[in-house]
Amino acid sequence: MADSREPPPLFNDDKEDDNDDLFSSAVQSPVSEQTTTPEDQRSPEDPLTPPPPAASLTPEPHNPGTPPDLFESVAEGPVVVQGGSPKLSSVPLDLPAGGNGGEGKQQPTFFPTPLQEVSLEEEGDEPDIFDTMSSPKLQLNQDTSEPPVPPSSILPPMGAPLTPPVVPITPTATPSLTPNITPAAPTPVTPVAVARSSPEQAEGDGGDEFIQITVSDPQKIGDGMSSYMAYKVTTKTNVSYFRKKHWSVMRRFSDFLGLHRKLVEKHLHSGRVIPPAPEKSAIGTTKIKLGSDKNADSGSLDFIERRRAALERYMNRTSTHPTLRADPDFREFVELDAELPRATQTSALSSAGVLRLLNRVGETVNKMTFKMDESDQWFEERTQQIESLDAQLRKLHASMERLVNYRRELALSTAAFAKATAVLSSVEEHSSLSRALHQLSESTERTQTIHHAQADADFYVLSENTKDYIQLISAVKDVFHERVKTFQTWQHAQITLAKKREAKAKAELAGRMDKVQQAQEEVTEWEGKVERSQEEFERISRAIKKEMEQFDVMRVKDFRDMVIKYLEDLMTSQQQIIKVWETFIPEAKAIS
Amino acid sequence: MMDGMEDVLPSETNGTKSGRSDTVDLNDSTLQVDISDALSEREKVKFTVHTKTTLPDYAKPEFSVVRQHEEFIWLHDRFDENEDYAGYIIPPPPPRPDFDASREKLQKLGEGEGSMTKEEFSKMKQELEAEYLATFKKTVAMHEVFLTRLAQHTVFRNDHNFKVFLEYEQDLSVRTKNKKEKVEGLFKSFNKSTDEILLAATQKDVDDYFEREKTFLLEYHMAIKDATTKADKMTQAHKSVADSYIQLSSGLSQLGTIEGPRLEKFINKVADTFEKARKVEGRVSSDEDLKLSDTLRYYVRDGSAAKDLLYRRLRCLANYEQANKNLDRARAKNKDVHAAELAQQNACEKFEHISNKAKEELNDLKARRVTAFKKNLIELAELELKHAKAQAQLLKSCLQSLPEE
Repeated sequence: MADSREPPPLFNDDKEDDNDDLFSSAVQSPVSEQTTTPEDQRSPEDPLTPPPPAASLTPEPHNPGTPPDLFESVAEGPVVVQGGSPKLSSVPLDLPAGGNGGEGKQQPTFFPTPLQEVSLEEEGDEPDIFDTMSSPKLQLNQDTSEPPVPPSSILPPMGAPLTPPVVPITPTATPSLTPNITPAAPTPVTPVAVARSSPEQAEGDGGDEFIQITVSDPQKIGDGMSSYMAYKVTTKTNVSYFRKKHWSVMRRFSDFLGLHRKLVEKHLHSGRVIPPAPEKSAIGTTKIKLGSDKNADSGSLDFIERRRAALERYMNRTSTHPTLRADPDFREFVELDAELPRATQTSALSSAGVLRLLNRVGETVNKMTFKMDESDQWFEERTQQIESLDAQLRKLHASMERLVNYRRELALSTAAFAKATAVLSSVEEHSSLSRALHQLSESTERTQTIHHAQADADFYVLSENTKDYIQLISAVKDVFHERVKTFQTWQHAQITLAKKREAKAKAELAGRMDKVQQAQEEVTEWEGKVERSQEEFERISRAIKKEMEQFDVMRVKDFRDMVIKYLEDLMTSQQQIIKVWETFIPEAKAIS
Repeated sequence: MMDGMEDVLPSETNGTKSGRSDTVDLNDSTLQVDISDALSEREKVKFTVHTKTTLPDYAKPEFSVVRQHEEFIWLHDRFDENEDYAGYIIPPPPPRPDFDASREKLQKLGEGEGSMTKEEFSKMKQELEAEYLATFKKTVAMHEVFLTRLAQHTVFRNDHNFKVFLEYEQDLSVRTKNKKEKVEGLFKSFNKSTDEILLAATQKDVDDYFEREKTFLLEYHMAIKDATTKADKMTQAHKSVADSYIQLSSGLSQLGTIEGPRLEKFINKVADTFEKARKVEGRVSSDEDLKLSDTLRYYVRDGSAAKDLLYRRLRCLANYEQANKNLDRARAKNKDVHAAELAQQNACEKFEHISNKAKEELNDLKARRVTAFKKNLIELAELELKHAKAQAQLLKSCLQSLPEE
């Protein structure tokens, strides 16, 4: 933990390697997020931006110089991560994103990093100490008032991969850190939280990074029922932790679903909104599987195009999320040249699928039956808003679909009219009238193409995007529900604790010393659980708040972009129509 | 709304009188007819036919009567059945005022009232009312065109029935054909069409000109009928697109309220733009309907009338040839020669008369058609252009104001 308290300059020096980008991005995002989020009192931390590592390091100032040295020796990467941790954990700035991102980012490039992170995290065991120490120093996150929330809550999600490596490194880091930090609390859980916070903070900064993914070239591989559609996923990026700047891989649809599944498993409890993947469609897929290449009719072509566009949007949304972008599974998906292992769990008929279905049913029942005592005004309002947004978007989407249908009809009927006019013009004996009618037919033909293109724009720009948003909102609802679930766990733990205490009291009254001992142990155990689940709850609440901020910003921006693009398309159509009629008028006038 | 009284002045029908001004010469002021007023009652429309004349036969120089659609049809039938007019193209009767479509839509709207917001509902209601009004104006215009053509026609204007129609202040008590008469009418038209087909197959026309005309008219008639239906479908689709903008616009404004300050202004501007765009699209649709579909439709009917003319002529020719044969037979048998001769004379005269008139009429029709098409196509193109420009401008200004948010 001491590492996290390092004075900024220290980190700056360390940052020459490719962790630099990592950090700069990580650091910058909290800044940007801070400016947009009124909630947490984040001091617009400019120091965050310039010397990325500095930001994470600021909390450390109170630490004597030794820890910094230690940090440097230990590892550059992890240090940075650690840097922000103590304070960061208290401030949900980039908590969700940072934690995962930081760790994720570091994994591929710096294998030892995670280990170090973990070890460092362990150092951060003394929440109280850290808090007192870090509070004054942490400029990044402003919630100094935050109670020492054991970073433990952050650990669980990322815990698994990190714990093993901890062992070797700990010895090095610990000794140096301990003098500065009061003996770490016995909680092994804390470390992760700490580690998480810094990466989260680091992750906040995504300003300079650029990543763009295109999905193209849908190809049918194989034949018959075992065939599938493969898509080329091309990535262009300047993000450091990717190996190249521009490359492509082939992926099949179930790969996309598998990625989504993994991301949900890993990140949902940390309160992140995971962009939903395009849905499976049994009919469309079967049509493609069974149809031969030659008679790819417009229906299935349409379906493929829709899917391709949906996949592209999905990939881009996922990649804009800094944490998800840094996730190892995501990176593997995007980078790995070979075929990915079949994500069999995504198949609807597999046992995993059935299990998922049952889980989902259980969750739905849970959602309906458990009414949480909402103490947080913010969440109350947001839930309401999300609900009404959902309903409204659905309505809007329905009217958009109607528009698309009508316009397609218009295109069709205009085409029919063009043909009829052509016939008429050929029958007409008066020559200049015939010519004019012929022109009319051609003009109408051209307007028909325009209408058709406009209908497509209506569809792809407006309707599909709105549909995506409806799905995103349900992902948001899922996240909110996760929070409710953690609350439930907490309540449950509290109730059990009360029971255990009661049991202990009873045992004491009865004078059964052995039972008392056991009861005492149980009480302690449950006390710990209560604490942990409370932390978890508060952590997820904070994480959600932060995520929602980001989500809102992104949503607003996306919506504006979508509408503007659509209006531009409309305008272009109208201008094209203008041209068509302008050429027609002289012809009409020429009728003698 | 539809049950109430609705007054529509011809002055409001700007441009809805599609073929009127250039198919007929308005400079002749000796007999001017127009429909000065129209009332829409439950099931019927009452037209106030106003006449201004300098002709001596009429009792007063200016007068008005109220007529219903059935009376117009009665008038047309009188002309149609009159053998003297066999050589002329009888102006096609105006179509029945048909508000069923609008009524149905209004009903559907009423049923769906619960599912939309107040503003959406009132907007759609407004749209429907405007549609109703447009249909109303159109039917008035078509009745008027019918009358003006009669009034301007050198021969028709002097027709006694026409005078009665214009002057007689009481109800013409033209009852719609009862069942028997309807069946009779059906029979008659059936006979007529079979006869037509028979004649077309057997009767060879002596005059090449008419032969050509016949084939041309037939082909043309089919083509233009087809074009009319397609045009109607197109304008319908256009109208639906315009109407769906309403829902889009109101959905967006609701979204704006939910979204809160960040997006609200932005969304409201967009919603507003859609609202305006919808109006323009609606105008495009109705103008297309007016200029394009109506012109086509009118010439379908006119072409139909021309076909009738040709048929009559052909029938006349057949009669003439029959009379010739009769005469020859009579001469051969030397019986009733005079009667046969007379008959043949009549038939011959009739035929010649018809042929000449028909030639004139057909040429006239051609000229009229070309002019009407020219005018309407030009107007259509200009209107389309105007609307497209308006929409483009609207969108442009919206786009310009948006990023300032």
